[in-house]
Formats: sequence, C-alpha cells, structure tokens
Amino acid sequence: MERTTTLQRADALWLLRRLRLIRQASERIAKLYPSNVMATPVHLCIGQEAVPVGVCRHLRDTDKLFLGHRTHGPALAKGLPLPKLFAELYGRTTGCSHGFGGSMHVLDLEHGLPGSSAIVGGSIALGVGAGLASKLVGGDWLGVSWFGDAATNAGVFHESLNFAALRRLPVLFVCEDNGLSNVMPKAQHSATDIVSLARQFMPTLAADGTDVLSVYERAGEAIARIRAGEGPMFLHCPTKRWMKHQGHEPCDLAAATLDRERDCPIHKLEKFLCRSGLATRAELAEIAADVESEVDAAVRFAEQSPFPPPGLLEACRALEPPRP
Amino acid sequence: MAPTGGRDLTYCAAIREAIDQAMGLDPRVFCIGLDADDRFGVFGSMANLSHPERVLGTPISENAMTGVALGAALSGLRPIHVHLRSDFLLVAMDQIANYVAKWRDMFHGQVAVPLVIRAIAGRGWGCGAQHSQTLHGLFAQIPGLIVATPSTPYDAKGLFLQAVKDDRPVLFLEHRWLYKDTGNVPAEPYTLPFGQCRVLHEGQGLTLVATSLAATHCKIACEQHGLDVELLDPRTVKPLDLDGIVASVRRTGALAVVDYDFPFGGFAAEVVAAVGERAFDALPLPPQPLTFPDRGMPASQVLERAYYPDPERIAALLRRMLDARATAGSAS
Repeated sequence: MERTTTLQRADALWLLRRLRLIRQASERIAKLYPSNVMATPVHLCIGQEAVPVGVCRHLRDTDKLFLGHRTHGPALAKGLPLPKLFAELYGRTTGCSHGFGGSMHVLDLEHGLPGSSAIVGGSIALGVGAGLASKLVGGDWLGVSWFGDAATNAGVFHESLNFAALRRLPVLFVCEDNGLSNVMPKAQHSATDIVSLARQFMPTLAADGTDVLSVYERAGEAIARIRAGEGPMFLHCPTKRWMKHQGHEPCDLAAATLDRERDCPIHKLEKFLCRSGLATRAELAEIAADVESEVDAAVRFAEQSPFPPPGLLEACRALEPPRP
Repeated sequence: MAPTGGRDLTYCAAIREAIDQAMGLDPRVFCIGLDADDRFGVFGSMANLSHPERVLGTPISENAMTGVALGAALSGLRPIHVHLRSDFLLVAMDQIANYVAKWRDMFHGQVAVPLVIRAIAGRGWGCGAQHSQTLHGLFAQIPGLIVATPSTPYDAKGLFLQAVKDDRPVLFLEHRWLYKDTGNVPAEPYTLPFGQCRVLHEGQGLTLVATSLAATHCKIACEQHGLDVELLDPRTVKPLDLDGIVASVRRTGALAVVDYDFPFGGFAAEVVAAVGERAFDALPLPPQPLTFPDRGMPASQVLERAYYPDPERIAALLRRMLDARATAGSAS
C-alpha cells in the first residue's frame, strides 16, 4: 500500500516494537509450550498483532480495556509488562494475576486492564460498564470492548451495543475478525455480516487488520470521535489467525489462503519504514534483537519466580474479610 | 435482641431508606435495572429517591446489564443492580456466576467488586413457576457471592448498607411477602455484619434455623403455639454462621431447618449436613428439613396451599420433634 501519511518516526517505531514484542513472545510461547512449562491453554495471536497495536497506540492508561480469551496481544499492546505475562503462564506468584488467572485471565490496573474473561462475549458488556462509569462521573476515560467475530453471535453483543447507543456512552467496540470460531468459518456461524449489524446501533469504521498503519489510522479517527463526545463507535478489523484456536501449532485451515509475507503485519510495516526512510534496515534488526533479549529476560524471570504456596488458598477464601 | 429507639418502618421503607442514605453518603453509588426509574419505584423500594439522576432504567437485557454494572464497579463506582423478580437473575447467570462471582478469585483479589445485586424474591399470588422462586440456595453454591436474605426491616437496612460498603459482590434477596411487615428501624445509617445469626425466639427444646420469609413464619409458629424452640435467623445464607448454629444445637440437642427454596443441595440440606459433620454426637433425633417440593411452583390456590409450607405446617413439624425428644428423654 502506498502511503503519504504524516506518521511520526516515534509512533512508527513504537508500533513496530509492540508488533515484534507480541510476535516474538508468542513464538517463544509456541516453542516452549510442548515442554509443559506453561500448563494453561494459550490462544496465540500470531498474524493478528496489527489490531491491538494499532488501537492501543491511541489509548491511555486510564482507558479501560476488557478482553476475551485471546489476551496476550491486546494486553501487551496496552502495556502489560512481558515478565508478568510469562510468570502468569508459568503459574508463578509474580504473574499479573498471581498465578490465579492463567493465560485467559490477565489484569494490570496500572495500564487500564481490569481483567479478561474466557466466556466468549460477556466481556463486551464490561467495556460498556466502564463507559457508563466514565459518563456518570464525568471521567476522561473510554471503555473498550474487545472481541472476535464469533462473539457477535452472542446475545450479550446486541444487548451491549444497544445500551451503549441508547446512552451514547464513550465506548469503542473492537471486532478482531479472524473469520474463525475455533474451527468454524464465519459463513457457518453468521447469517449476516457483522458491520451491517453494528451499523444499526452506531457508526462503524473498518481497517485492514493485517496492516498496523490502517488500524492505527482508523482507530485514531474512532477514538478521537468518541473522546469528542460522539458516543460509541464500532471498529471492524478483518485479520488472519495463523495458529490453531488454542495451542502452539499452526492453523491448518489458514494454510491455503495465507501468505506469510503478504499477510504479515510486521513485514508490511518494515517494508513501509524502509521505503519511506523512517528507519534503516540496521535499526529494524536492532529492534528485533532488543525484543528478543526482552523475551529472554521475561522467560528467565518466570522460571526463577516461586510458585504460589498451596496454603494460600486457605488464606484467601473468597469470603474472608476484605483486605485493608 | 429486637432493636428499639428508632421508628416503625415497613421492610420496603427500610430498604428504600438504606438505598437513599447509601446514595447520599457516597456519590459513587448508583442504581440501575429494568424499571428502576419507572413511576412504581420498584414496588416502592426506590420511590422518590433524593438522587434520581443516579437511577438508570435499562432495556430487558439482564445479562449484559449485569456485565455493565460489573464494568462500572471495576471502574470505581458502586452500582446497585435491581431485579423485580429473582427469577430474572437466571437470565444473567453467565454474568453472575462466571463474571461477578469469579472476578476477585481470578485475579487474586487485586480488584474490588463493589456490586450489589438486589432482587425481589419469592411467591406472589398464583404467579406460577417462573415468578415465585427464591433461589438463595442456588446462588450460595457459587463461590464468591455473599447472599443476604434479611427477614426484618432492621436487618434489611443494616445489611443493605453493609452490602453497599463491601468490596465484594452481594446478592441481596428481599422476599416480597415481607415488604409490608413493620419493625423498629433507627433513622441514622448503620451496618450489620454478614455471617451472624440473630435469635428470633428463645427456647431450649430444639434449634430451628430459618431465614427470610421462612424465619418470619417460624417466629409466628413458635409464638402462637408457645413452642420451646430457639429460632436462629442466619440473615446471610453465605457466609453462614455455622458456629452460632452448632453452639445452639449443642445446647438444645435437636435441629430443624425451614427453607422456602428447593430441597436438593439447598440451604436446608447444607445446614443439616454441616451440623451433622460438626455435632453428630449432639443429635439424638435425625435433623428435619422442611422445604418446597422438588418441582416448579403451581398457580392454583389449592395447589399453592399444598406446595408452600406455612406457620401451621411448621408448628406441626416442631411439635412432632419436641414430642419425640420428650419420649426419647423419658425412655432413657
């Protein structure tokens, strides 16, 4: 794609670094996963990195992002420190959820991640609640509801869009549309297209979910309009899932239609950066190497962290008096 | 002890006062729910509140609205989500059981979930199987929920204010047949702790455990028939004051549980099992639960009379047990 964008070098390098962080962390997880050091179901997002990275560049720490089960990409894009993610996957007490959450339940209050859910659809409503809270107290934050194409089949999707639209809440709905519900293609799970559905309730914008600059532009527009008080917006990002729904293996369904160069968000961005002169090949290589060291350090941190003592369960029963 | 020094209020007015005071004390408190803002004021329990701008009506979307309330709670507010019937809670079961109840456990309590879900529970008149359920037993089975079932106006106000103040999610079930009961309620705000029994009738011959409308019916049965029974109302099904119940059973040597809810794996079964574990040696007679039958509620008045326990049936059960105790005592 030819671009005449006024993308700043700082933004461009931020985007690349986050894309690589998610990609290289995911590849490391895939590599280590067969050894069972991470005894938790992982839903990798290799190939889909452009969506969270392009959106989160426009979000602030105070904006509240609610995720589904495919957490790693959006959580890292929003700011979850990588060591805390790896420690959580390793079931360690230093994990972002202290070893109680696993891959599907990550939280980082400092970076506006109040939690994620493994039941498809439900967390869409929580982002609406964050938007309602913002509107009720005159807050400056947005609620962000993050979900895949299959979640739009759940009743909670319609209920949430309806309520956000009725009350004109500051909520961004991000549909990361990888066209697959586990192994079921979209044509088998949706009788109508998602954007027409959403358009009944609110303005929609579409971006190429394999191109971070496309997502960055459209997300920027959507978020600016929400911050300006226009009410909720729906951002639809068709993308490609390279891996199986769960686990470390490549997705056999995608093999026929997938071009690992043409469809790669990192490849696209790097090509653009070199052509436009925003970065040199040497700088790109340096970023990749930096990120790889970061992944090494995160894995080391996880490996060296202690497991939570089983006695902790007794001490933290749900109905103990609240901590001071 | 029965409270004194306040004024007589209905159960409904006590809850209304608690909501109004909670909203006045803390600007983060707001109410949300289907028909929350309509002219009937949720059977009067939310009529003429001082902060109507913080009362939000919703579409019939109980599941998403529970998620919305949770999202607001996670964003620093303190929502009160109201349901006109406890049966409607089942529409929101995904959000209540998978989200609200689990959120603190999934993240090791790093985040507060200050959410009160209130529902008007129990039978009406000929309302049938989908508008008469109480369901406290079902919800108490889910880890992470506090389940409050007050039987008096005093308890209703104190427990409600505690629920709003608490950083854990609370399911607050108000039996509709208690709405017109009156009792002494202090005018100022006060809280009551969760998980503490209240003695509603004193006696030595038998320990009787009951909560919500069943507690009120038990009290009537004890008073009208002059029964030698210690009646305990746990006031919260979860957390449950087992220590208080077991101590009483050790004093009296007999246990009956009256529970206006379904029998299988329910509140009565839990109390019987837990007391059996802790004080089997103190029970010469088998403990007796009295509950609804294991089937949905009927509508016809005649069938309702057969379905629902009442003070007379409770008194008959208690008399049988007291007689059996006396016989066993004279035989030994």
